[in-house]
Amino acid sequence: MRSTLTHDTDPLQLIRRRLGKSKSLHDSLSGRASPDGSESPELLQRERSIRTNRRQKFINCLLQEDINMPELRKLAWQGIPDELRPIVWPLLLGHMPSISGLRSSTLKRKREEYASLVEVTFARDRQLDQQIWHQIEIDVPRTRPGVRLWMHACTQRSLERILYVWAIRHPASGYVQGINDLATPFFQVFLSAYVDSEAEDFDPTILPPSVLNAIEADSYFCLSRLLDGIQDNYIAGQPGIHRSVKRMAELVARIDPPLAAHLASQNVEFMQFAFRWMNCLLMREISVRNTIRMWDTYLAEGADAFSQFHLYVCSAFLVKWSEKLRQMDFQGIIMFLQSLPTQSWTDHDIEMLLSEAFVLSSTWHNAQSHFSGR
Amino acid sequence: MSKQFQFKLVLLGESAVGKSSLVLRFVKDQFDDYRESTIGAAFLTQTVTLEDQTTVKFEIWDTAGQERYKSLAPMYYRNANCAVVVYDITQSTSLDKAKTWIRELQRQADPNIVIALCGNKTDLAARRQVSQEEAQKYAEEEGLMWGETSAKTGEGVSEIFTAIAKKLPLTAPAPKTTARGAPGSSGRGVDLNKQPTAGQNDACNC
Ligand SMILES: Nc1nc2c(ncn2[C@@H]2O[C@H](COP(=O)(O)OP(=O)(O)OP(=O)(O)O)[C@@H](O)[C@H]2O)c(=O)[nH]1
Ligand SMILES: [Mg+2]
Repeated sequence: MRSTLTHDTDPLQLIRRRLGKSKSLHDSLSGRASPDGSESPELLQRERSIRTNRRQKFINCLLQEDINMPELRKLAWQGIPDELRPIVWPLLLGHMPSISGLRSSTLKRKREEYASLVEVTFARDRQLDQQIWHQIEIDVPRTRPGVRLWMHACTQRSLERILYVWAIRHPASGYVQGINDLATPFFQVFLSAYVDSEAEDFDPTILPPSVLNAIEADSYFCLSRLLDGIQDNYIAGQPGIHRSVKRMAELVARIDPPLAAHLASQNVEFMQFAFRWMNCLLMREISVRNTIRMWDTYLAEGADAFSQFHLYVCSAFLVKWSEKLRQMDFQGIIMFLQSLPTQSWTDHDIEMLLSEAFVLSSTWHNAQSHFSGR
Repeated sequence: MSKQFQFKLVLLGESAVGKSSLVLRFVKDQFDDYRESTIGAAFLTQTVTLEDQTTVKFEIWDTAGQERYKSLAPMYYRNANCAVVVYDITQSTSLDKAKTWIRELQRQADPNIVIALCGNKTDLAARRQVSQEEAQKYAEEEGLMWGETSAKTGEGVSEIFTAIAKKLPLTAPAPKTTARGAPGSSGRGVDLNKQPTAGQNDACNC
């Protein structure tokens, strides 16, 4: 279980290790000029021949001087190969520029920016916001309990800093429970660029601090981008969630009237289960692996997918259990929905769900904005 | 034949005082040092049997404690027959929060709601910030039940729920409803067997 470590803090360099030994390949991906200026076409050729078609398409896309983002989105919608995800997510989120020549310098600048944000926020003479800090302190040890990666003091301190710096810079929402969950996929995905073993079982204390700092900074910026699209979910009164749950109930009434009628007859309110589905983006319902695959598609869909597309995903998710739910009474329904049998779900199950959601969104999106008067 | 009753119970209180741990101890007799925070609310049930073989089934809504979720709480206490308002004996601010919940229940919930104030984490007595006297005095003034528990060791947990069961109006069966614990429905002390009921008035002093 030894992990191959690297002291390079540039996530792009994972390409170097995983996708081949071609210098020009990694040099162009990481935005560095190839020192000898050679392009080594045979190596690229060989690379191509041993990769699957889809992966190769990704690589070709990523190798462009200025990445064709619509093309990258189209590819990412179908799922991103694990080893490319640490590059593709920051690109899709706009954390990393599409122009290869700007990448290294941008990442370096942002990581420095984060380091100074942390320094200022936790400066010795500065009072912490006790209410926010207290909530973060009690939630961090309760984040992904039992998962080894998250039991280490150093990952917990990283998570604390990410959450607190974000909360202080977003006073309208501050820290809201559930945001801790949303930070973890980023951290794990960016960590995976540096280790060969399963990120969740990894002991991060053996990584050099510079690597951990880079993972933390990238996680912070990407989490911020994600949250920008769903801020309404976390401000006072959580209007974003209330709106989404209401629209979900309206949608389910149209796509599955018998289920909607049964839920109503049992006095089940959507808010009683769907609140959590919106607040934690289904992270309490499905595995992190499933979540990561789901986010490939969300990130490909664009900025508002975490509020708009997500609502179709949640509707498709509920309707999936329609037959079972319609046999149950109030207690059965609520208990079933709070411990759904998704433990064995694979990427395939998530992909089915995403395509069902896609069909719903294409069919209903305009109609919905129409009937809900928006 | 023994009588069966069904009541809705809501747990309220500041985040991390141990609401979910308390229910987990009561329902499954388990304890985890670290569990995920509650988002929205969790639903559980547990039945207690009293000395006279009367059974009381609790339909429990364990709510989320963070202030931001406050607006959801009425959905859960709206039709509750009883409420357990929890504080952490090692955090005096959590008692203030508990008092705020109690005032809200007194104003907004069913006027007949049975409220128990519960000081949790007695296993951490060395770090105690809320004295028994202070909490008990407040509970008496407000006419609440009061008890201390440790979800970790199990101390006092079944006692407080049993005491609530005894305090509930087992003598006055409400009209039978088909309520299955749904907050939108009105199931108070449903005597499922429609038996004439015997007096059951030994209110708790746990
Ligand atoms: N020592 C000790 N720790 C406890 C006890 N009850 C709960 N805890 C711990 O306190 C922390 C919070 O417990 P939870 O049960 O999750 O608290 P909660 O009130 O449900 O919190 P929210 O869901 O955020 O509202 C956990 O780490 C528990 O292990 C107790 O009786 N003794
Ligand atoms: Mg809880």
